[in-house]
Amino acid sequence: MSILHPFSKSSVDKTGQNGSRKPAKNKANQDTPILEALHIRKEFPLGGLKLFGPRRGVKAVEDVSLALRPGRSLAVVGESGSGKTTIARLLAQLYPVSSGSIRFRGAAVRGTRGRKARAYRRHVQLIFQDPFSSLNPMHTIRYHLSRPLRIHGHARSAAQVERQVKALLERVNLVPAEQYIDKFPHQLSGGQRQRVAIARALAAQPEVLLADEPVSMLDVSIRLDILNLLLRLKEEDRLALLYITHDIASARYFADETLVMYAGQVVEGGPSEEVIQQPKHPYTQLLLLSAPAPEQAEEQHRADSPLLATRGDPPSLIDPPKGCRFHPRCPYAMPICREQVPPRTDLGAGHWTHCFLYGETTRLGDLKPARPTKVASEE
Amino acid sequence: MTNDAVLEVKHLSVDYGSAAGAVHAVDDVSFTLRRGQIFGLAGESGSGKSTLAYAIARLLRPPAVVTKGEVWFYPRSDEASDGKAASTAPVNVLGLTPQGLRAFRWRRLSIVFQSAMNALNPVLDINTQITDVLRAHEPGMSRKARQERALELLRLVGIAPDRLHSYPHELSGGMRQRAIIAIALALNPDLIIMDEPTTALDVVVQREILAEISALRDRLGFSVIFITHDLSLLLEISDQIAIMYAGRLVETAKQRALYHQPRHPYTYGLLHSFPKLHGPRQNMTGIPGSPPDLRAVPAGCAFNPRCNYAFGACQHVQPRLMTLCPAEPEQQVACHLYDPKMGPPDLPEALSGQDALIGNAAPAPQKESAHEHSSSLF
Repeated sequence: MSILHPFSKSSVDKTGQNGSRKPAKNKANQDTPILEALHIRKEFPLGGLKLFGPRRGVKAVEDVSLALRPGRSLAVVGESGSGKTTIARLLAQLYPVSSGSIRFRGAAVRGTRGRKARAYRRHVQLIFQDPFSSLNPMHTIRYHLSRPLRIHGHARSAAQVERQVKALLERVNLVPAEQYIDKFPHQLSGGQRQRVAIARALAAQPEVLLADEPVSMLDVSIRLDILNLLLRLKEEDRLALLYITHDIASARYFADETLVMYAGQVVEGGPSEEVIQQPKHPYTQLLLLSAPAPEQAEEQHRADSPLLATRGDPPSLIDPPKGCRFHPRCPYAMPICREQVPPRTDLGAGHWTHCFLYGETTRLGDLKPARPTKVASEE
Repeated sequence: MTNDAVLEVKHLSVDYGSAAGAVHAVDDVSFTLRRGQIFGLAGESGSGKSTLAYAIARLLRPPAVVTKGEVWFYPRSDEASDGKAASTAPVNVLGLTPQGLRAFRWRRLSIVFQSAMNALNPVLDINTQITDVLRAHEPGMSRKARQERALELLRLVGIAPDRLHSYPHELSGGMRQRAIIAIALALNPDLIIMDEPTTALDVVVQREILAEISALRDRLGFSVIFITHDLSLLLEISDQIAIMYAGRLVETAKQRALYHQPRHPYTYGLLHSFPKLHGPRQNMTGIPGSPPDLRAVPAGCAFNPRCNYAFGACQHVQPRLMTLCPAEPEQQVACHLYDPKMGPPDLPEALSGQDALIGNAAPAPQKESAHEHSSSLF
């Protein structure tokens, strides 16, 4: 199997030193977003009869904006329940947003069913987490791949379908294609199934690929193969990629930009390297401290952080805390954090965060001792 | 940490099914677990790591059969507190009678299962589930003493005592996992087998549970067999690590040796399969191909079809675990590349030097650079 270099030239530029970052950024500015989410919210109504008082709901996603650009990948990182999968499904129009809008090539997208939705899905495809349940066990690989080809009108005659199905299998490295085409999903390994799922998404010839934890169900040794495959496809087709994950290290490997979510809110975002090497929001710092990092196992610096002393769990999304949803667990929380949702603060180089510790008006001298030491020493 | 063994597994083999169609899930595995040690067992799905653990705990059910091997357990001698000084003679685990097994399990060896969500009984509160163990294994204990022990156990694992009467659904995932660890600790066993104890948890909670396990180990002195597919986790928590592939141990080493100088190509591949959070961002390849189907394991070394360094002998002769260098007696590897008798080609650069890992930096500068990154974090 050929191993491809996963980094595009542009992303290598970006990961370089400050000097080389600027041209890459200009290039990114030229690329207009193909798919945009503007201040989207999603609230799932709760079942049960309640005659009086307001209807309750699970506030799964709260005021999230993001943009996907051709040939670029964006990672959304968060724990379970942070709303990251909901974002992927909202973007795929599996269910409608509660408020806010989703724009494809600048035009608002509406409706989750019917002809318009089908046209939308020609451009935007979703890859699910679990390759064991996202393929129909009753059908062969040929069926799985020929359906989208016919539905989206990319192939009409049987010969065309056959040729394109084989080409798709080859693109995802399932070669020789003849060996796989008549198999059923249960005859394939997890990695091979996920390749079929990716091929099925590609069959629609989309411009945007939404990958919802595409490797978390796979064995460790084959995860990189699948990630490298997605990176190669991104380069070949100039796909805009959304990568949903709980593994922040893989976001660093995979994505140009990273958003960190907590309890339905985006807390921090920017170029992956910036966010992961210079995390600003206390939650991002906690996440990074918690992630297994054997390269640091021999050092004791972890124990020093006040963040690790904070126990607790993400809040209930039915009745989330007021203000910043992280404040009950945050060792640096201030009174204002309990009252208001922190606005976005730009930190330069495309890096931003929603945290009062970095706000213009709330950044007070007397707060410094409570803040992460490195942050304080930087200023 | 003392150096005496708590568990010795000798040439253990487990088959699923029998005769011709048998699947060799565990094949000739031997290792020694020392007292107070955390022994990490890593492998991909289907590598036989859970089967091995269940064989040690005698939990296998047909069609699984132990076809070969011995498991010896060496009890701790500090039983005076119970009044009945149990014998400290070695226990042949595979030969235990049902009565012997009942006395052995939980007091000597307990298990934390993979899914915390399902291991607890949803219709009983935590208190009932802890005291149930005590009632079954310590018939002489008074009701009040059981209650006190239950509270003590909860405090030990960091659950507030007022949660004693909570039901599993009222606890978060991390608390449930703590409760299960509390139950496993109820009789103060010598050995706890933990089968993917943190797989279903978020990273932040996972970190808390790992810290808890380490702290409890330091305090109570039990040994742990920690099973996971996540090698990066094992590198942080284990003292000794064994890597399994297709039912066999391919490498076993102390945590540091394994990380800094992996010998087996599979270990090397695994270490390069998870992206790093720190250090230079680099191209990574993973391991080509997929894990073998145990019904049709390749002849010779099972890893040879995926191995970049395979040569003639790998396809015919099954390699055995052997010690490579006298300075690192704990590091054993099953690979023909290190066996001059097999006539291997020159050792590939990746596996030969101290600089096997992380950006090809020598250990000293590498540590420095890691430090640089950590200081830039905070």
